[in-house]
Order: sequence, then structure tokens, then C-alpha cells
Amino acid sequence: MKIEDVVCSFCGCLCDDLVVEVEGTRVVNVENGCTLANEKFMGDHRLEAPIRRHKEGWEKVSYERAIEETAGILLDADRPLLYGWSGTYGEAQTIGVHLAEVLGGVIDNTSTVCHGPSIMAIQEVGHPGCTLGQVKNRADVVVYWGANPIDAHPRHMSRYTTYCDGFFVKNAFRERKVVVVDVRETESSQVADEFVKVNPGGDYAVLSALRAIVRGKGGIIPQYVEGVSREQLFRVAEMCKAAKFGAFFFGVGLTMAPGKYKNIRNAIELTQELNRHTKFTISPMRGHWNVYGSNEVFTWLTGYPYAIDFARGIAFYNPGETTSVDILRRGECDACLIVASDPGAHFPRACAEHLAHIPTVQIDPHVNVTTHLSQIQIPVAVAGIDSEGTAYRMDGVPIRTRKLFQGSYPDDLEILEKIYAIVKEAKG
Amino acid sequence: MRVVLKTKQRAKPRIPIEAEEIIPQNFLRRNDVKVFEGNKERSLGDLFFVTSEGPAVSPDQVEVILTGETGVIKRVGEYMNAGRIIIEGDIGMHCGNFMSAGEIIVRGNADAWLGREMRGGHILCEGNAGHYCGAGYRGEKRGMRGGTVEVMGNAGDFTAEYLSGGEVIIHGNCGDLPGVEMRGGKLVIGGDCTRPCGNMTGGTCMVFGEARQFLPTFVRNGTEEVEYKGKRYRMAAFRGDVANRGKGIVLVRED
Amino acid sequence: MTPGLLVKNAFVIDPLSGIRGEIMDIAIVNGRIVEETPPGAEVIDAAGCLTLPGGIDSHSHVCGTKVNFGRYMSPEDMRAGRTARKGVMRVTSGYSVPTTFGNSYRYCTMGYTTVLEGAMAPLEARHTHEEFTATPHQDMLANTLFDGNWSVMEAVREKDDKRAAAIVAWTLEAVRGFAIKLTNPGGTEAWGWGEDVNSIHDPVQNFEVTPAEIIGTMIRANEILNLPHSVHLHCNNLGVPGNYRTTLDTIDLVPDLNRERQSLYLTHVQFHSYGGSTWRDISSRSEDIARAVNARPQVVMDMGQIMFGRTTTMTADGPMEFKLYLLHHNKWSNHDVELETGSGIIPVYYGRKSLVNCVMWSIGLELALLTKNPWQCLLSTDSPNGAPFVKYPEIIALLMSRKLRENERKMIDRRTEHYVPLFSIDRELDWYEIAVMTRAGQAKALGITHIGKGHLAPGAEADIAIYPIRPDQVDPSVDYQQVMAAFSRTRYTIKRGRVVARDGEVVVEGANSTIWSRVKVPEEYDMGNDPEFTKKFEQYYTVRMRNYPVQDVYLPRGLRIDTEASL
Repeated sequence: MKIEDVVCSFCGCLCDDLVVEVEGTRVVNVENGCTLANEKFMGDHRLEAPIRRHKEGWEKVSYERAIEETAGILLDADRPLLYGWSGTYGEAQTIGVHLAEVLGGVIDNTSTVCHGPSIMAIQEVGHPGCTLGQVKNRADVVVYWGANPIDAHPRHMSRYTTYCDGFFVKNAFRERKVVVVDVRETESSQVADEFVKVNPGGDYAVLSALRAIVRGKGGIIPQYVEGVSREQLFRVAEMCKAAKFGAFFFGVGLTMAPGKYKNIRNAIELTQELNRHTKFTISPMRGHWNVYGSNEVFTWLTGYPYAIDFARGIAFYNPGETTSVDILRRGECDACLIVASDPGAHFPRACAEHLAHIPTVQIDPHVNVTTHLSQIQIPVAVAGIDSEGTAYRMDGVPIRTRKLFQGSYPDDLEILEKIYAIVKEAKG
Repeated sequence: MRVVLKTKQRAKPRIPIEAEEIIPQNFLRRNDVKVFEGNKERSLGDLFFVTSEGPAVSPDQVEVILTGETGVIKRVGEYMNAGRIIIEGDIGMHCGNFMSAGEIIVRGNADAWLGREMRGGHILCEGNAGHYCGAGYRGEKRGMRGGTVEVMGNAGDFTAEYLSGGEVIIHGNCGDLPGVEMRGGKLVIGGDCTRPCGNMTGGTCMVFGEARQFLPTFVRNGTEEVEYKGKRYRMAAFRGDVANRGKGIVLVRED
Repeated sequence: MTPGLLVKNAFVIDPLSGIRGEIMDIAIVNGRIVEETPPGAEVIDAAGCLTLPGGIDSHSHVCGTKVNFGRYMSPEDMRAGRTARKGVMRVTSGYSVPTTFGNSYRYCTMGYTTVLEGAMAPLEARHTHEEFTATPHQDMLANTLFDGNWSVMEAVREKDDKRAAAIVAWTLEAVRGFAIKLTNPGGTEAWGWGEDVNSIHDPVQNFEVTPAEIIGTMIRANEILNLPHSVHLHCNNLGVPGNYRTTLDTIDLVPDLNRERQSLYLTHVQFHSYGGSTWRDISSRSEDIARAVNARPQVVMDMGQIMFGRTTTMTADGPMEFKLYLLHHNKWSNHDVELETGSGIIPVYYGRKSLVNCVMWSIGLELALLTKNPWQCLLSTDSPNGAPFVKYPEIIALLMSRKLRENERKMIDRRTEHYVPLFSIDRELDWYEIAVMTRAGQAKALGITHIGKGHLAPGAEADIAIYPIRPDQVDPSVDYQQVMAAFSRTRYTIKRGRVVARDGEVVVEGANSTIWSRVKVPEEYDMGNDPEFTKKFEQYYTVRMRNYPVQDVYLPRGLRIDTEASL
């Protein structure tokens, strides 16, 4: 059976034009998707049943037993951590927040290792952005900074920027100029009209220099700034000022560079400065398909987009203190529930070691690195394949993922609601 | 009055303790000071051996001494406005938050956010300080507004972020971007640092060690002589951050 | 359903039923007000306290993309308004942009049971609806933005009112919207290029239509569709010194097309009533605006009062928010929505020492005091733009007490009285007028009286607010502290016959409804089959047409108002 307008639940592009062929409970073909989509839909190898540690190995357990034990683990803890969330949809994320609140624990999502710095920068200077269709229809200058879309967001350029015609840009390939800024050449820089190579850690200085030039104070800029020549700096600044509509996109190359959120802040302030001359926007290249969704849900419920600590009965937010990597590294939490994410694969070693020492439960369809650190794993349906819910694209546009077939796995929403019910009852 | 709080052994020693009620004025008349261990409320006696000696009629006559496993105790001295706290060892995050008067002495190292959003008083750290020493809170335009934070050792990154008033003195090295976003007050760095005062709009920063990766958007503005620890130094003077319409002053040692 | 409830000894003011202050009993069965008290009903003794229909806010920014932007970017605002769990009440955060539960609880304890979200971009409607569900104690309605809508502007250019109407019908149904909202019409599209429009006759680049044409077409389209509410307009040139002329020009455009209600609802008019030509000589032109509105029953406005202190501005008016950024250099966010509209967010501080802010503060009050008919000037702050809605009780006190206004005069910039007429106005509004301006007037203007909102006659929804004040014992012109305290916290808030709040505490979990409009159009006007319209999704939108509409699951208790288009 062919299903059209399917939403891909892999990266922040949240493409919704996939055509998928389903046979029974398997996806056998994907059209319009990139290689990441193909892998997501067709390379789907699931854990069959809930498992828990037993002596040196694992034993299968019932969903009921796994749910009860999980609730028990969370209730016993003095400082439970609920992490992940970016790989599931909003309705489930909502229960996560309610659960953390009732437990007096910490809830955090994958922003913590990805665009957390972008959020921190936005909290300092704001976010002059737009939806992706604005870029598609109007932009004549696009700058990718610290991002390699061809690799990490394969259809970004064809759906939204370089190769994508729009209402005002009838021939994007010719009319749209693309600049790539990075510490080394990448596939994306190969197709750019201008490549700016910056010394590692030098982005902040380059952004400050560009701001000064746009302000008209270019006279103070030396011959080279962190590997970039004065000429190139002036050329790029002019290109931006002369644009009818410019769009910055930045990735973890910038968020993870030394200075982290200060780099993003500088890029945002450059965008704001450019707005005095022409139209310019800036957008983060969010990695997970629904990490922005977890930010949105956490924010409207608690006031904060990630790293929220309910230990004191109110919502407290302080990245560096209430963020998962810091909490795990310091050995501060005594139980952890991981939903729709794989911190075992992404977090520093010290964090993984701590996860292995405390009772850790994972709710996830697939066996992954975190499985080996967990005490219990509960497999669930895959959002976008056999369960549906709300996702937020990297630009904030909400799209509902589709349910392609009725599988035999429960939704993670169902599992979380059951855990929540037990915890709420116990807490009175 | 002298109050000594010695930590008891705990089953889960790494769960942080939040102790914002440990301030001199709370020991004057109250005997029900609460602390939090994770999400559990505890009385002071649950986590500390408490001894108290001597009279006091006002909070500035109260001295609180913390000793033992103090490195995970957060928010000690929050909103403090009189008296003295001495920590015989390391101290956790947010020590001296919102402090407006009084004195805090940390004999060991201080974790992040020492003296956050301080308004007055003195904090002395004899060891090293973590990140965000003398800084502000996310999203606020102003950070520390008054008072003094003095660190004998090194400090981490983002020291004195958003400094608006008061003085932050780090005798050792600083990490990355000390004085970033600063708009007033004084930051003194005895040792080395990288990229001082990014995006600065006001205030004065002095670096007596090496200022690495000095940002290109500061403009040379002559030379000045200043005194530090009894010696006089010649400093190159800069104004900036030009990227941010800044009129701050950064002095970097020349000789 | 809920068992019976009897509210005894209520001092009722129910303007829509002509009741101006009578002690009565109110009987409730199954969430509605009835004639006869049911046997075994629970009794609440209102003890002679002021009892009004539940509060209705006709313009507030509480749910959706830009509101959440405001929260997200303001951790310092979030920490300034935190509350802990209490009974059924969840943790809340936020001072000027509270979290959804924060909004809901604060409105609830103030007696508000229905709120209209001021602006929803169709492309992002799902987000608004998700937040509606998390604002559980108020029935919610969404103003749907059309000011920069490409399909609409093309229809305006073709002078095709019917086509414009058909586009609106399709969109309102697709996104479960309630009414047509226009924010700086034409300006938000110009802002897509960093530009704005300067007058209502300024053509919009690339579309060759003027704001006047957009407004005119949409007013006519609105009537073709027989929508419950009129067009809801945020005029061009918000905040610009001298903009009162734009406002008057706009008012001049408005025909009288509807017998039941206004043909145009002008929102937060304080921001649009400035004389002078620069910030240095800005003055109040409230008298001109009030005179124009007094002469035209087809126009209703709301105040847009500012209150001193800090708050967050957020509107779909992207260019205006950028101007504030240039002025104050605060943190600034922007979010343009493809083919549809824009938005901007920036925190502000309104100070008593700022002459400009003092003039703004005076204007809002003047508009209310100079408009003869209270049904034509409703209470609002364009929350949180002028002030967070928790300031409404203070505004009520100011409107009811000349003495309080005099006290304020002593605290604000001394020069203010040379630029505004406020301090020579004696009028003090009475309880009845306040009841009109905070609920009855809204229900009438929004066109929701026929579904039982805004009044207490049998058949009405049992949304009731009992305020701890006895109008027969209190003189509001003197006892303004009591007035403020009373309107801040009900003794009881009743929603659909259930007591939801008591003395400042919310006591049950909520289960609100979302009210939306569906217009039946003939098949040939169904935009779902229109090639020009569907082409927008094929070529220019970045979301497929099939994925664009808001699915039923987002409105667990949707309340649909059906009408039929005169096409």
C-alpha cells in the first residue's frame, strides 16, 4: 500500500513529502527521502519485548512488570533524571514533564549536547528568524556557518535553499549565492559560491570583525582575523549588506566551538546589525526531528526549554548545573529514565559510567549503546512509523507525523501514562 | 555568636545539598533552619553536627563556620546581608548569591557561580573558583552590581560575565572570555586569560598576565600606568568592543 | 454531568439581560443556568457579593508560537513568577509571559472563563491548539491572521470579495480558527523584505494592493461569511507619533454592515492614538479617536492600556517590534511566517519617569472615559504588550476613581498633563459599565452570546464570577483598594456549573472547549479544489496541503459555530 505525504522522523528538516510503500508491518520502499530516511524507515530492527537484567544477562519481562519496576525506581530516588525526549512526539514529552514535576526530579532533552548553546544565546539577545518557506521564496544569500547540510541534513539545500526555486527566486541555482564558513572543506563547501576557512576556535573573532565592518568601522580590522583575510571579510560583509534577503544557518560546528553560546550570540548580533541595512534572518540547524518540539513543550509547561530541576518544588533552570551531562559527570543523580535518545553513544565516558552504576531505564524501540548501561528496557512503537503525534520542525512549524500501520507495540505515551499514574498515586 | 556546622556522613554523598538558609541572620533567632538534599527536605541537624556558642544581638555578630564535605553544598550565603561565613574547605555552586553585605571566606575552591548577582559585601576565595565567578543569571541584562569577589587562585570561563558594578579580582589565571558582556565595574586578572571582554560596553578590565587571542575589535588608545600588589606596571590601553558600540576599557600589561 | 448548584443572594449585574444590580438566586443544572432550582442542589451563598458572568478577554496573547518564543527567550521573566504545586495546581513560571497553566490559573482566580488568543498564524495553528489544551480553565478562541496572506492579497487585487471570503472559509476550517485577524495589513508582507507600509494607501510591494483595500475586502468578506465576530484589526503604524491620522482614516473606511454587532473591531487603540510627530512632542489624540467612535456604532475598540513596570511585547507586527529594538536595543526576536504573516518579540519597561510612557498610560484611560457607550470601548492591555492581564483590577480601579487617578498624577512625570486631557476628565465608571467592558461587551462583540456566553439568563452557560465585594456598601471612587483586591481574586469562579476556583486557589482540573467557526460554502467556492490555491502548497509553502490542516485530535472538546456563506 502506498502512502503519500508521509512525514520523516529523522532530522530537523521534517520533510513531509515522502511516499512510502507498506506491506503488513514493514516499510518496503521510500520515495523522495534521503539516505537517512531510507535507513529510518526500512532499516528498522526492533527489540521484541521488554527486558531486564538478570544475573549476567537479560530476561524478558511483561510490560506490566517493567512499568511497575520503573515507577518504583523513580519513586525511590532522591534525584531522578529524565532524559532524552527528542525522538518522540509532544504528547509523550508532556507526560515526561508532569512526571518530573511530581517526582521532584530533573528533566532534560538532547539540546543539552546539541543546540543548548543556541538557546542560551537566544536567551541573551533574542532570535531574529523565520519559517523555512521565507528563505525558499525570498533569499538571495544563504550562509551556512559550522554546518554541513549535505551530510547532516541532506535535503535542506534542495527543499529550502540552494537548489530550491521560490516565488521571488525563480532560478535558485543561478540567483542564490551560498557561502559556507567552516574550519575545513566539506561536501557543502564544495558546492558553495564562497568558502570561508576559519581557524578552529576563531569564529567569535571573525563574527566580531564582521559586525564592526557592517557598522562601518572596518578600518580597525587587521590583515588577518583567525585565518580569514581582511579582503574576504569585507567581501562577505558587502555581500550580506547588498542582499535583498539573507539567511544564516548554523550548526554544531559553531555551537560546540570554544565559547559555545557566545559564538551563537555573536552570529545573532551580526544578524541584528544587518537588519539595519537589509532583511536578514538566522536559524539553527536542529539535529533531531523533534528536539525543537521538546523545547516548545517544556517551555509552555515549565517556562524553560531544557535542563529543568523540580527538586525544590518550582521550576529551576541553569545550564551547567541542571544539564544532564553535568549532573551525570558529577554523579549527582541516583536514577535515570531515558526516553527516545541514546546518551550512551553521545555523552562523555564519565557520564556513561555513572549511568551504568545507577538504576537506569530506557524506553526505546531499538537496542543501542544505552541498552548496555540500562537495567530495564521497554520497547515501544516508532514515532512516524507505527505511532503518530506532533513534531516541531527546526523552524518551529508543527507537523503531525503519520501512523503508517497498526503495529504490535504500545505507544510510549501509553507506557509513560501508566508510569505516571503509579507515581502520582504513590505521591498522594 | 559562633555557629559551627560539620557535615555528617551521607548514604549518597554526591547528591547536592541546597542550603540557602545558611546565612548569619537565620541563626540569630531561629532554630529550624532547613536544607534540601535532592528533592528531600531535611533539618540542619539531619545533615550537620551543629554547635553554637556565644551571644549575638544582631546578625553582624554572627559567624557561621562550615566544615567537612562542603564541596557539594550550594547557595550558602544567598541574600546574606550581615555577618560572616567561613568555609573550611571547598564550597558548592552559587555561594554568596545576591549577597548585599557581610563577608564570606572560602578556604578551599569554589564551584561555579561564586557571588552571582552580588550587590555588596566581600567574598574571598583562597583557592580556585569555577566558571561564571562574579557573574549574572541567564537572560538578565545586569550581573554583579556591587561588592567584591577576590580569588587567590585561578578562575574558570566567563568570569564576571555581565559585570555592572563592584570589583572582581582574580590573582591567578582566568579561562575563556572573562568580562564578556561587561558594562561597568572593575575586573582585575593577575595572570593569563583568553579573549578578554568580548562584547564589552563599559567598565574597566586589567590583565597583568598574557591576554591570548585578543579580539580584533578593540582599538588601541595609548598607555596607562597602574599599580597592582604594590608594583607599578605599564599597560597598553584599548577601547571597545567596537562590534558592540562599546566604550569599555581594557588594559593589558606591556612590559 | 454535574449535579445542581444554587447560587443564593447574588448581587447580579447582567448587562445583556438588562439587570443592573439586583439580589437574585441563580440555579444551575448540567452546566447551564436554569429557571428552577433542582432538588438536592449544592448551595453557595454569595452573601450579597458582586456576581457577574464569567470574565471574557477579547484580546490576549497567551498561546502559540510567538508567545512561546517570549517565554523561551526570557528565563529572567520565568523566574520572576514561579509558583509551586498546590493541590491540583501544577508548577507555574513567568511574570509577564506565564506558562500555560500559569495563565490559566491566574485568569481563573480573577474570574475569567473565556479568552480569545489575539493572533494565530494558520501555518502554526497546531501549536496554538496544543497550548489551548494546556490552558484548561478557559474556553479558547483563536484570531486567525490574514494580514499578509498571499492568496487573500491576490483576491483583493482582483477585487474579488467572494474569492477572498472562500479563502477565509477554507482556512478557518482548516486551522479551527474563530475570526479574521489583520495585523498591520500589508505591512507584515512588506516586512518579508524588511520594509513596512506608511499609510493605508501605501501599496504593498509585489502585490499591488493597499492596506485600505485589504481591510475593505475583508470586512465585506466577513459579512458574506456571516461570521460571529467582525474583522479584528491592529491598525497600520502602531506606535508611531502622529499615527492617530491613520486610525481615523481607517475608521472612515468602515461601513455599517451588521445589525447585531460592529463591522470592525479595533484592537489596543491606545497604541494608535498618538499626536505629535516625534517622540519629543508625542501627545494624546484620544479625544479625536473617541469622537470618531462615538459617532459610529459600527466600530468597537479595546483600550490597550499600558501599566508601569516591565513586560514583554509580542505581536504579529514584525516591523514595529524591530523599531522598538532600534529604540531600546533590548533582546529582539522575529519570526516571519511564509505566505501568511510575521511576528516580533521584545521586552520593554514602561517608566513613570518617561514622559512618553506617561502619555501612553493616560491615553488608554482616556479612551475608556471619553467613549460614551461602554459597549464600544472594552478593557484590555493587549496582554502582555501593555501589561500582563493580572493588572486588570488596577485598571478597573483607575476607571472607577478620579481620586486614584489624581494620586497617580503625583507620581508620574509632571509635564504629562500638558500633553493629555486625562486629568480634566471627571467621569468615573460605575459597576454596570465595568461589567460591560469586561464581559458583556466582549460577548456581544465576539458574537458568542447566542452560544450562552456573557450573560446569566436561563439557557446561558453557567460561567459565573463572584467577587468578594458588596456594591451596596462600597464607594468605588473612594475605596479603590477594595475594588482592586476584589477583582484580583474571586470568592468563587464557576465554569460550566463547576466551582473551579475559591479564594485564589484552583480546586479542580480543567476541561475547556475550543470555539471555532465553520462556514458552509457552495462547492464551487471550495478552495480545496481550486488550482490557484492548491498551487501555493505545491510550489511555495514548505508543508504539504494534506499535512496543513489541524486534525480533530487537537480539539478534544471542540465547540463549532456553524454558519452559511451568502455566496
